[in-house]
Amino acid sequence: MIFFNKKTSSGSVGKAKVNFCLSRKNAWLLWLCQCLNIAVIALELSTWMLAIISLSLAWQALLLHNSRDRIKTRKKEATVKHSNHLKKQQQATIVSPILLGIFALLGCLAIALTAKEVGILASMVHLLCFSYVLKAFELKARRDFYQLLLLGLFVLASSLIFRQDLLFSFITLTLLVINLSVLLQFFSSEKTFATNIKVMAVILGQSTILAVVLFLVFPRLSPFWQMPSAKSAETGLSDTVKPGDIANLSRSTKLAFRADFGQQGIPNYSQLYWRAMVLEDYDGRQWTRIKAALKNTVKQSPSNTFSVNPNDSDIVPLNYQVTVEPSFQKYLFALAPAIASNASNGIRAKSDFTFMSSKIITQAKSYQLSSYLSLPLSLVLSEHSRTVNLNYPEGSNPRLEQMALQLKHNYPDAQARAQAILSRINKQNYSYTLQPPLLINNSLDQFFFDTQAGFCVHYASAFTFIMRASGIPARLVTGYLGGEYNGSNNEDDYSEKGHLSIYQYDAHAWSEIWVKDKGWVRVDPTGAVDPERVNSGWSNELLQEQSKLNNELFSLYQMKNIAWLNSLRLQFDILDYQWTRWVIGFNSKQQYNLLKHWFGKMASWKFALIIAIALVISMVMLMLFLHLFNRSKVKKQPLSKWQLVYQKALGKLAKQGIVKPVAMTVNDFSKQVREQYPELAIVFTRLSVSYNCLSYQILSTDEQLKHIVKIQEQYRDFVQTLKKQP
Amino acid sequence: MPQTPLIVDQVQASQQSITAILNKIESVVLGKPKECRLALACLLAQGHLLIEDLPGMGKTTLAHVLATTLGLSYQRTQFTNDLLPADVVGFSIFDKETNHFKLHKGPIFNQVVLADEINRASPKTQSALLEAMAEQQVSIDGITHELPIPFFVIATQNPLFHAGTYPLPESQLDRFMMRLSLGFPDLKAEKKILLNTSQRTNKTAPDNKIDNEGVIKQEELIAMQNAVTQVNVSNDVIEYIIALSHVSRRAYSSHSNVTNTIHANTQVNEPEISCKPLSPRASKALLQAAKAMAFIDNRDYVLPDDVQAVFYVVCQHRLEMQPSQQLGSSHANDTSVANKILKCVDVLNPLGHA
Repeated sequence: MIFFNKKTSSGSVGKAKVNFCLSRKNAWLLWLCQCLNIAVIALELSTWMLAIISLSLAWQALLLHNSRDRIKTRKKEATVKHSNHLKKQQQATIVSPILLGIFALLGCLAIALTAKEVGILASMVHLLCFSYVLKAFELKARRDFYQLLLLGLFVLASSLIFRQDLLFSFITLTLLVINLSVLLQFFSSEKTFATNIKVMAVILGQSTILAVVLFLVFPRLSPFWQMPSAKSAETGLSDTVKPGDIANLSRSTKLAFRADFGQQGIPNYSQLYWRAMVLEDYDGRQWTRIKAALKNTVKQSPSNTFSVNPNDSDIVPLNYQVTVEPSFQKYLFALAPAIASNASNGIRAKSDFTFMSSKIITQAKSYQLSSYLSLPLSLVLSEHSRTVNLNYPEGSNPRLEQMALQLKHNYPDAQARAQAILSRINKQNYSYTLQPPLLINNSLDQFFFDTQAGFCVHYASAFTFIMRASGIPARLVTGYLGGEYNGSNNEDDYSEKGHLSIYQYDAHAWSEIWVKDKGWVRVDPTGAVDPERVNSGWSNELLQEQSKLNNELFSLYQMKNIAWLNSLRLQFDILDYQWTRWVIGFNSKQQYNLLKHWFGKMASWKFALIIAIALVISMVMLMLFLHLFNRSKVKKQPLSKWQLVYQKALGKLAKQGIVKPVAMTVNDFSKQVREQYPELAIVFTRLSVSYNCLSYQILSTDEQLKHIVKIQEQYRDFVQTLKKQP
Repeated sequence: MPQTPLIVDQVQASQQSITAILNKIESVVLGKPKECRLALACLLAQGHLLIEDLPGMGKTTLAHVLATTLGLSYQRTQFTNDLLPADVVGFSIFDKETNHFKLHKGPIFNQVVLADEINRASPKTQSALLEAMAEQQVSIDGITHELPIPFFVIATQNPLFHAGTYPLPESQLDRFMMRLSLGFPDLKAEKKILLNTSQRTNKTAPDNKIDNEGVIKQEELIAMQNAVTQVNVSNDVIEYIIALSHVSRRAYSSHSNVTNTIHANTQVNEPEISCKPLSPRASKALLQAAKAMAFIDNRDYVLPDDVQAVFYVVCQHRLEMQPSQQLGSSHANDTSVANKILKCVDVLNPLGHA
């Protein structure tokens, strides 16, 4: 409301070209505000743009600083030419428009040239930030000030395109308050900035009601209500895996996804193999997902995908909800074998027991799954997939191949053969490390026989290779292992449910071998070298190693070892989970469900009607509330009788075309009436005199009553004379 | 119109003398009845008067005639840039015969002090007037001397763009109840002035001097001043004055309810008024001056008209951000801050009651 008022006043002021000059404090606050706003979005800007922006900001700071010096020197002089000085000071903060124009043109050109590289969205953001910074150079009128502030808000809003987690949202909200406080500061400059911030926070707090209502009921029409997809994959698993890949990933402490098991108990850590991708194609260097397999599944899907007979009462499904953070890829996570519950759409199950999203995941997405951990994975192996999973480039790792042949000879049974390799890994001097030595050409030979130090991918790749070389169908699976439980540890207290948070550093790779009658059997060679990793998570050595690598202030190792910090982190994680689940994940479907829950099933037009009515009602309520709120503040002092009478007379005169300016006194007005309407002169003058008498003279109550009767009579006379007029 | 007179006789007598005084002043300061009334109102309201105008506009004449018609002792001091405080206030001289310091009273020990061209003196000398104006007393060598009652300072000043002027500090400006400027006389008045002067040169001296006979006596003046303070002021007028001063304070105290309602009352699109805020002393002066106007108009209650009549002269010099560059007459141009403020406030409902 306030904002609108100010805006209307700005229009007239803008036209009047009133000298506009921000106070020094305000100017600096505005500058600071700009810096902060830019800082929020800085990560998305390219380096050259950041350079330009920081240059401009520095330039502006310099101008502001100079203007102070100028004032200082001038204060010593006589104040006679004060107004001139003001003008000069104002000019000091304004750069010549031609220079600015050239600068702007060059900047736009640069943005246009790089647009192809960085993408349309990023270039638009560049343009926005660029204009935001340049606008500050031409603060000539109040209008410009408003524009600058609005641009700032726009910058803030667009920074939310890129990140939406709780912490970031909170930062953005804080900045919003600061931005608006700068606006408020402009109007109540005598108050301290802190009080203005308080006022603004209160105002925003009050407006949350409206925000919540809008959030819940405002229709999310898909063409307008879409977040542009901001980035491509940044962290996360990729389609191809080389040995050494996942070790990099495990430096990241970013969240990958969360799983909520509801009332059920969470399976053992070692059961939590979150399957993301199955990599079957090995070219001697890296593992790749087979694109062709994708087409196959579409054809064969009915026969080949996993299905469970619901009547099979032996197996109790494990139901859970997974909420994926935006990964900008399509793969999803599941505990194989699993089926997606009916409620989750946009999800495709694939023949290799992984799940894909039908669209690239740009926003937090959640889906329901039911897993049957004890069931085997596909007992039938198609000929095609057998050849694929036995295929390896011959001669790529001769020593391993040789060993495989030897093992094939010694251990005819597939599982025994696998066990033999695992025990070799366990017994010999293999080590599990985040910093594996560099391998030439990603040679598995070199790893397995020479360096003998590696991360999960090394072990899984080598293992799979050996298995394939020895004639057992095997494949590499990537995904995540484990997760961090966040919730009450009390077993009995199921009302407070916890959830699992799976971070990027939980990324893992393991292998699967196909055993007849058992289907695909999961074998995790990592368990042979570092059992702790598989059974309970990262060992302390690994954590330390990671903290060394990351060189962060609050490394994961420290976090996990300082109890209160860890509990704080976990608390925040809970909050963030709820935020992601209920706020960011609130899409049109959930909205529809919510409304359905409230009002029952209905036609969409009814639905729209309800939304519209709700909006209107909430707005009306708000207006009413504000109105009453404002009114109650003014001390209610009803108009006296004579004031009412006089006002009525004024109303009648106004209809005749004589309007009394507010600042005109009663006497002056009666003079004016006398000149314009001589016929009314006598009656109106009498009325005026009585009014003056009642209003300004000190009268006793008796006299007052007499006068009131008199003024009413005079009013009647006045009305009659007025009626006689044509 | 029925009145509640104090004592009818007394009022009638004082009204007669007021008419007489006004006639006398207007016979000397020609063609400026409004300014004469304001000047008289200022003295009746016990305020000091500042007359600002170009040289030769009759400032000194007005001051002089005011003093003499009211029958007060009067001394004129020409302020120059080398005038020292002691020259105004007085100083002690060692008397060899009595072996004592003897106070040599300065011109300030008169009932009317005409400080001519006050802004030519250095700020130090200007401030010597300060204590005298506020406290009606002066301190010389640590001894406080009471000044005569009634005591007025009538100061004249040249516009600030004139060479060799020091601006009066705000604190001192605030002590003057009114700042008047006479402005150019109209055709008729100027003709009369010119005729008068030529007559004077024809005749010999005596008529040249304004006769020093006072129209009223000191006691009468004091009685009139007391009567002015007893003029009734209704709640509406008080609120009107409050509203006016709050408009000027808008930029400084937006938290007060009063200001907000006035703000809401006056249109939003009204341009921002940049001015210094009016102090409570200014409001008091405004009220007092309005009372004096009412008294001169033979009323025992104040109308908003009175407030409007004195608002410009009482408040303009306290409102101006910088001393005015151009000279206006006392009821000057519409763009002046004072007039802008007047236009903001609803006379009938100043505080914007519902």
